[in-house]
Amino acid sequence: MSNLTNTDKIELYRKLVHTRKHDELNVRMASEGKLRTFYHSAQGHEAIGVGACSVLHKDDYLYPHLRGHGIPYVVGKGMDPKPSVSEHLGKATGWGGGITGVHIVDKENGIFAQGGTIGSAFVLSAGFALAAKKNGTGQVCMCFVGDGSVQRGQAHEAMNLASCWKLPVVWVVENNLMAWFTPCCDSFALKNIADMAKSYNMPGKVIDGMDVFAVREAAEEAVDLARKGDGPSMLECKTYRFRPHSEGRPDVCHYLPRSEEEIAEWKKRDPLVLCQKKLVKEKILTKNLIDEIELEADEKAKETEKFALESPYPDPSILNTLVYAP
Amino acid sequence: MKEINYWQAIAEALAEEMERDETVFIIGENVQEAPFMATRELIQRFGPERVMDAPLSELAIAGATVGAACAGYRPVCDLNFADFIYCAADEILLKAAQQNFAHAGKVNAPCVFLGVAGGGFGTGPEHSHVPSAMVLNNPGLKLVLPSTPYDAKGLMKTAIRDNNPVCYFFHKKLMGLKQEIPEDEYLIPLGQADIKREGTDVTVVATLYMVHHALEAAKQLEGKISVEVIDPRSLEPLDMDTIIESIKKTNRVVVVDEDTQRCGVAAEIGQQIMELAFDYLDAPVARVCSANMPVAGAEMEKYCIPQVEQVVAAIQSVCY
Ligand SMILES: Cc1ncc(C[n+]2csc(CCOP(=O)(O)OP(=O)(O)O)c2C)c(N)n1
Ligand SMILES: [Mg+2]
Repeated sequence: MSNLTNTDKIELYRKLVHTRKHDELNVRMASEGKLRTFYHSAQGHEAIGVGACSVLHKDDYLYPHLRGHGIPYVVGKGMDPKPSVSEHLGKATGWGGGITGVHIVDKENGIFAQGGTIGSAFVLSAGFALAAKKNGTGQVCMCFVGDGSVQRGQAHEAMNLASCWKLPVVWVVENNLMAWFTPCCDSFALKNIADMAKSYNMPGKVIDGMDVFAVREAAEEAVDLARKGDGPSMLECKTYRFRPHSEGRPDVCHYLPRSEEEIAEWKKRDPLVLCQKKLVKEKILTKNLIDEIELEADEKAKETEKFALESPYPDPSILNTLVYAP
Repeated sequence: MKEINYWQAIAEALAEEMERDETVFIIGENVQEAPFMATRELIQRFGPERVMDAPLSELAIAGATVGAACAGYRPVCDLNFADFIYCAADEILLKAAQQNFAHAGKVNAPCVFLGVAGGGFGTGPEHSHVPSAMVLNNPGLKLVLPSTPYDAKGLMKTAIRDNNPVCYFFHKKLMGLKQEIPEDEYLIPLGQADIKREGTDVTVVATLYMVHHALEAAKQLEGKISVEVIDPRSLEPLDMDTIIESIKKTNRVVVVDEDTQRCGVAAEIGQQIMELAFDYLDAPVARVCSANMPVAGAEMEKYCIPQVEQVVAAIQSVCY
């Protein structure tokens, strides 16, 4: 992290704020009944996508986790989050042309696919990494998954295969202690998911997922290994979701309300607050700059909303032409 | 009689069977809170030993279901979305379906695979399909598709008591549907169709939410065309007798199905009609199914799954 300039640090903070504002926009639009399909808020998770994706190059491959439906990751990678809201309104200007209302795709920026079944991420990302390796241009694939994904068999098949073949993939596990309503303590025999990496003879590290700088540093290291041809690694980022699994759902653990104390405790370590405090202490962020970034992010979110609302729906006659590639 | 809605009917059937038979238990992701309602409020009554929240591991959940079933239990496996049957395909299609056959009838696997199916909420691919044909293409599995609370309850009780693996798909759009059902216990045999509306001019065969599309189409055509709506309620076993009896009267038939058209349920039923009642037909069998494409989400969904207007048009097209 020592190599981060003040500008880099401010940029990370800026990305966190932009991510949060766009997430809040989706949450509001979901509550207004404007969003089609689901919305899984990223609030609490922002530091992971933002921190880790900020080390990627434009031609690196990226597989986002469902939190924020891509927003933390694309913002981290320096892309425009605008099409995310359009997609959720089913508009033609969405990532996926509004065809599904959820999926992200942006070939130019190395995002090829996103699946609806948890766990596919692991195996598809092994394939993206296989292509990256064959390309021989030093590209890596970074794939974000939840703790839930690691419970699928695909996770283990992918880790084993990628480790045998030394594929350039970094699996970033966003461990928020829950998969839907089921807590990790009842779904994992191990305390730390990162320990599983050992079984596949690849590095696995536990990271503070609320600390954008810690995430970035760990990601940099893992990406370097992958670029050098040293194979896959896993970063387990401990985090917490501040909102229910998806908007409009009850917020429970098994069938009882999640502990309010636990939520409050984690909110003290809100990734935006942690980052801001640190940079204020280092005298890198000033009150003026904080306000300026806030204003800019608000404006950007407004622009995204307007763009989405004014965009047209896709022409249904294209559906038939999409089943097979020409 | 008492009024009950669709999901309550399923939950009530599960509760009654769990009460009656200690070997019945539920296993699946988030079945205690039950976002899809079917297993809701069972945890309070039966506890976590019999309403088991499992890890996010469809293969392990389905495989454990089949294994426990072989060893004498009657598990109900909640797949969440019916589409996720693909995630557990090895254990359901290759193991559960073939268990009895491949072991010379010496060990069977009595279990239920529960899945919420169908479109209507724009939930997009991987979350909106009714994968009926795929189930039917794997002999050994039974397939139940309830369209009303009364059917949902009676069929679930029978499915649990059946000595075979039964896929039980219920529909997202029917969750809140209310109906009066008997206070006393009742069961509905699998393979017994129900005439949901009597008519004389044309027979419409439909299951799940499509029954309601058919009833709506029948209402719109009232006074012009008299529509008989037949709900097979299970597709394996399938009650062709009731369908053929109806066709002998109406001589015209439309099959409506929410699964993909190609190689689908309507193609199978249509062919059986040709084989069994060709001489009674005054028009070719018509079908209304989901388009031969994945189910799109959001605003595009309606162009992929059957709409009432299409059912009306198909009925008119055979009533020339
Ligand atoms: C194969 C599969 N099973 C179940 C689901 C339903 N589902 C969607 S998100 C989710 C929980 C995911 O948990 P996790 O991976 O920990 O991510 P988180 O939501 O906690 O960020 C579940 C069970 C699914 N989409 N796919
Ligand atoms: Mg999780």
